[in-house]
Amino acid sequence: MRRRLIVVAIFGAAGAVALALGLRFGLEREAGAGGRADSLFAITLPDASGQEQRIDQWRGKVLVVNFWATWCAPCKEEMPEFIKAQQEWGGRGVQFVGIAVDDAQKVRAFADEIHLNYPALVGGFGALDLSKTFGNRIMALPFTIIIDRDGRLAHTQLGLLAPAKLQSVISKII
Amino acid sequence: MISDRSGATRLRFLGVILLCNVVALAHAASPADLLEAERAFAFSARALDARTLQAQFAVAPGYYLYRDKLRFTVEPGALANAPVLPAGEIKHDEFFGRVATYRGKIVVTLPLDKPASGQEIAVIAESQGCADIGVCYPPQRQRIVLPLPRPGAAPGPLVSAVPPKRSWFR
Repeated sequence: MRRRLIVVAIFGAAGAVALALGLRFGLEREAGAGGRADSLFAITLPDASGQEQRIDQWRGKVLVVNFWATWCAPCKEEMPEFIKAQQEWGGRGVQFVGIAVDDAQKVRAFADEIHLNYPALVGGFGALDLSKTFGNRIMALPFTIIIDRDGRLAHTQLGLLAPAKLQSVISKII
Repeated sequence: MISDRSGATRLRFLGVILLCNVVALAHAASPADLLEAERAFAFSARALDARTLQAQFAVAPGYYLYRDKLRFTVEPGALANAPVLPAGEIKHDEFFGRVATYRGKIVVTLPLDKPASGQEIAVIAESQGCADIGVCYPPQRQRIVLPLPRPGAAPGPLVSAVPPKRSWFR
């Protein structure tokens, strides 16, 4: 009886560990990576001041495109990390671009508030459909894609992009 | 006696581990497991009588809805007054401050401004919520058409906005 209990307890514990690992690595799963981001380079979106911006202008850079919104608390939580990263790697050809699923006025107010140092494009709800083409199956936010200098998707991330993960992906393709 | 007690302790320990596994499985463990919004926040409604509707949200474990983003309207016609929403539980959010959120099941009574028996009425819910693992869904607008019961008739059936998913276990 005692031995059986111990065996079951070991299996139970193993299950818990496996799930914990799944949680950890699942969050960092790369979905859609390896594909091309050509459709993204074909579009033009207004920035927060209404100026049309072609995504194409950043071709050849390591491009980090973050889909976000002011109604999304986790999105706002991770943006200061992106500001730091833009500051750190901007000189080495890394360009962050935010695409907001939101309206221009709210985007402008929040960008000013956090002193955003990279372009904040305004995509409205249509931006969710765009994100879906890169693997955002459930069209939730934040969703971030990292594109290498050749226009290939190096990483896609639904949910928070951990600074360590961001660093490891960028350092491989910079 | 002592061994009995330690046996019970072990059993309890085992129970906790198994429970943890079940809870971990039920919650979205990774973005790949996340539910679509209409399943994370399953909306349904029924007509209680010719002038009263009842709206329900079943929020899946590991997800929550914002109270201040929840709105109900009907078509045609209007609600007699703003529906009384449950208080919800307070969540401390770095950006939104103290916000009331809903988990589990929410039931809201919707009084119509005038009875409309024997007709159909659409109830529209606007909602917005997030998953605990750190993703938020855009605002959703869902619509359910309900037949209104005639005076004295039994309440109408509960109608879901999204049909339940077929399951191997059903």
